[in-house]
Amino acid sequence: MQKTRRVSPRWGLWLRGLDEWLVIFQKVSGLALALYLIGHVLAVSTALGFGHNVTQQQWNAIIFGVLEKPHIGAVSVGALLEYLIGILLAIHGANGFRLILMQWFGIGLPKPSRHTFPRATPSPNATAQRVYKYSVAIITIIFIILATYDVFGALLGW
Amino acid sequence: MVAKSTLMKWHYITGLIMIIVVGIHIAYRWPSYDASVSWPAVQSQISMAWYDIVLLIIVYAASYHAMNGLRTIMLELFHGGKAFTTFVDVLVIALGLLVVVVGTYTIISLIPL
Amino acid sequence: MATASSSEASVETIKIKLPEIKLEKKEVIFKIKRYDPEKDGFYWKEYKLTITNRTTILDALLRIKETQDPTLAVRYSCRMGICGSCGMVINGTPRLACETKPYDLGTSTITVEPLSNVPPVKDIVTDFDKFFSNHKSVSPWLIRKDEKEQFEDLKEYYPQTEEELDNYLQFSYCIKCGLCYSACPLVFLNKEYLGPQALAQAYRWSADSRDQGAELRLKLVDTDNGVWSCNYSGTCSKVCPKDVDPALAINMVKKMLLTGRKR
Repeated sequence: MQKTRRVSPRWGLWLRGLDEWLVIFQKVSGLALALYLIGHVLAVSTALGFGHNVTQQQWNAIIFGVLEKPHIGAVSVGALLEYLIGILLAIHGANGFRLILMQWFGIGLPKPSRHTFPRATPSPNATAQRVYKYSVAIITIIFIILATYDVFGALLGW
Repeated sequence: MVAKSTLMKWHYITGLIMIIVVGIHIAYRWPSYDASVSWPAVQSQISMAWYDIVLLIIVYAASYHAMNGLRTIMLELFHGGKAFTTFVDVLVIALGLLVVVVGTYTIISLIPL
Repeated sequence: MATASSSEASVETIKIKLPEIKLEKKEVIFKIKRYDPEKDGFYWKEYKLTITNRTTILDALLRIKETQDPTLAVRYSCRMGICGSCGMVINGTPRLACETKPYDLGTSTITVEPLSNVPPVKDIVTDFDKFFSNHKSVSPWLIRKDEKEQFEDLKEYYPQTEEELDNYLQFSYCIKCGLCYSACPLVFLNKEYLGPQALAQAYRWSADSRDQGAELRLKLVDTDNGVWSCNYSGTCSKVCPKDVDPALAINMVKKMLLTGRKR
């Protein structure tokens, strides 16, 4: 039997599911946050002179002289980046917490049981999972509101 | 070789730790991000020994969590046998050590004695 | 020849009124994505067919084969949702053709495609070699420490309580149709991922109280391409025709590995 490439997926099946979006988001946001971590630690350590040149001049030169210097209008690119990273962090953290509770402690997972008639509810559609996902959504919305006030409050006149 | 379940157990432990410590770190940006990154605010933050300890915990927990995550993603997407796995292991350990060494060196010097 | 008993039990006749099933007909267009192995390419072909509200997709495909295009290759066997042979992507979702009715789908055009994440063979028939080898790799059979006793000296059956049976029964209903494997986004991303079916069966056998091979099996799936490649998108459980819920099984395996508790 000739082995060829695999049949490509049906994207529609995944695009209409929140669970599938959360899987991809968790990975993409994780990658972004990992790269941010490296840059952030190096940048802030440099700004603090690696603990041996802890002066205002050194801090301002790196933070305000380089990172926060580029602007899009009145908005600093550095601040905008931090804002976006903060939102990624909130969603990654909330969804990650949900995954830890499920996979380690089994919270929100039903006990294996006999089949019900006509069809059983698959565990990803069960009530507990909906509660989890609503919680992630609520935490995200609250964080976005607080972060917007925190970073852009003065600009927006709040 | 360490079992994947052990690596993931620590991935989850560091994730839980980070919810608290990164939460504290972000809380110090409130109520104004611009004010929190100004020199007087930064100086007052780093002069608190407990906050420096929190930063140290973040460096270690985040490095492990990020590097294990990076390793997982790379090994899922690309397959190249034992040689590739070794390359990915070396890469993530190197990046992790870079962050840990730089972070530790900086923060230890900041802790007021 | 045995004679019938002389005492005739009185039989109560109960008249049951069966619901009247109204037969409806309509014309439907079947858009089939066919694979040509000689050209190593896919092409779409449309067929018009008059179907009833009782017709299944499989019935329709076989009628197309009989009356319109005998070259259409379709894999099927039992026609009643137990063999798992007729899995295909119908209107964008992996389903069993024998259990899906065009009338229930509600569209006038039905798209039929081969299962994703597996190599095609011809038309809608796909190659399940890797799927089956992944399944075999998790040792999906009863493992006992004393093999001689199991195969030669077995004096009585291995007893099991109802509760012990309930721990794994739903996962034993797997018919190896491959719908979950086809639906899984991580099978697409990670070419070496064992897949939800194999991992669910790893749980099924490890959770079986009669089995003594949980440690061996869990070691096999405790890898980057085993359970840890699953991120709980749950698509597998949503498409499973037998309500096996592989996503639940995989999470149970993860819990076993993280907590160190085998059952």
